[in-house]
Amino acid sequence: MDDLQLLREMRNETGTPAPATLARGRRELLSRIGGETAMLPDGGTLRRRKVTRRLLLASAAAAVLVGALVAADVVIPGAKPGATAEAAEVLSKAAAAAIKTSDPVVGPGQYLKVETKAVYGATVSRANGTMVSWLETQDGQLYVPADTSGEWVWNRERRVPTTFFGEESKAEAQRHVSSLNGGAGPQLEGIIRGPGGAFYGSAQQILGMPLLEAVKTLPREPRRLLDLIYEKTKGQGPSPESQALMTIADSLRIGVVPADLRAAMYKAAALIPGVVVADEQATLDGRKGVALGVYWAEGKLRQDIIVDPVTGFMIGERTMHLVAMGGIPANTASGWTSVKTSVVDSAP
Amino acid sequence: MSTDNEIIRRSRDSPAEFAALYDRHASVIYRYAARRAGDFVADDVMSETFLVAFERRETFDPGREDARPWLFGIATNLLRRHHRAEARMLSALAKSAPREATADSSDSIAAQLDAAAATARIAGVLKGMPGIDRETLLLYAWADLSYEQIADAMDVPVGTVRSRLNRARKTLRTGLGTQLEESENEHGRLAVAPRDA
Repeated sequence: MDDLQLLREMRNETGTPAPATLARGRRELLSRIGGETAMLPDGGTLRRRKVTRRLLLASAAAAVLVGALVAADVVIPGAKPGATAEAAEVLSKAAAAAIKTSDPVVGPGQYLKVETKAVYGATVSRANGTMVSWLETQDGQLYVPADTSGEWVWNRERRVPTTFFGEESKAEAQRHVSSLNGGAGPQLEGIIRGPGGAFYGSAQQILGMPLLEAVKTLPREPRRLLDLIYEKTKGQGPSPESQALMTIADSLRIGVVPADLRAAMYKAAALIPGVVVADEQATLDGRKGVALGVYWAEGKLRQDIIVDPVTGFMIGERTMHLVAMGGIPANTASGWTSVKTSVVDSAP
Repeated sequence: MSTDNEIIRRSRDSPAEFAALYDRHASVIYRYAARRAGDFVADDVMSETFLVAFERRETFDPGREDARPWLFGIATNLLRRHHRAEARMLSALAKSAPREATADSSDSIAAQLDAAAATARIAGVLKGMPGIDRETLLLYAWADLSYEQIADAMDVPVGTVRSRLNRARKTLRTGLGTQLEESENEHGRLAVAPRDA
């Protein structure tokens, strides 16, 4: 074996990005694209617009608007600052419920099974210059052993196009699928195993820390937790506020965050300026909860977490497209994940 | 299917088109960054690469069909901000003991041990190498770019790429020295003498 071959094989086990990571990067890009599209001809820069928005939020926090929920359908969302008091109340109730509802007990030899359904937006750009989008769905099951240092098992089903926006969208999706089946791209499916959750050679991470370490060491005091989230995600994302809520959503989406940390994350979310009750009766994958969200890209997009206020479990998270963009119609969840946990006696 | 330059050209008038470029190339950028500096850095570098690319899309050479060299060039610049993470990872790899052998055949145990030892040694060499040589070498070996594409990515003449690669490979071979018995084959590439010969 020559030097180049050895070098090529080194760290060759490094995987492709997790779907959540890909989806987050895409959200950030769309947000930037959305921002640019909205740029005024008089040339307000990105920085200036960001400052203006922050000022708006700050003044809103001082005024605490009433009736924001009712207004949500009428007013341009970006111009409407958060009903933070209301959102904070929902989150605080969810936190209390999380602590009261005990986590499922995983006995020796048993597994915590985390079922996720993840929906992603896919877009192709066509030769005639139009963009066509559709949504793809991927189901997955993660089995976490009672002894978390043991072997974790992760099964991912095939990712398939499931929602189309018109005939062109359906045709492009089918073309895309057949090109993948022809071997043009990697298919992330099937069962993989990882000791201590280390798939692809490294542990899953929350906030740049290996998951199990993070679960043990992250602060349970909400302010300290939120400050840590801001610090770790500095400079990332469309705004510190949306990035903080996305980080919380990403952490909870893994499905293994214990009740006390989950409660701290809800309370931390309640401290994020601009978080609103976006929908009191949100339905995700057939389950109902309260959607708490933060707007970005001048109100064109919103990141939600959907919480069951009775049990304190996170039902899932979603990204809402509030205006038509890139082939996705207005008021569409362009990506979402639902999470369900249970205890099972065996893993595949 | 549109070529990359068509997507970028259209994104000047309809910016949302640019998302198609992300769908096409985000995974390879992530994987390259993750190999160089770990998953946490890769998260950041992947998304930032496309944000920077979007803002600078006017500077893309419309004559090029493949945007990968351009994107890898942006990612390479962004990775420089994370040189500490990269150095930490290479240090850890350089110190890593050969992993426990689990295979049942003694031959494959030997092969595993060798691979682990080689990884540790390569990591040490990469860490000590001048950054510009390491970037060139890894764009070639891990990003699978050709000499011409690396020249595009790093905005230098092909001759410079060639000399950097020669220098980097020489350093690598010297570092691996005792492990590889070098012998030139007819293509001027290195091959290894049979170990048991």
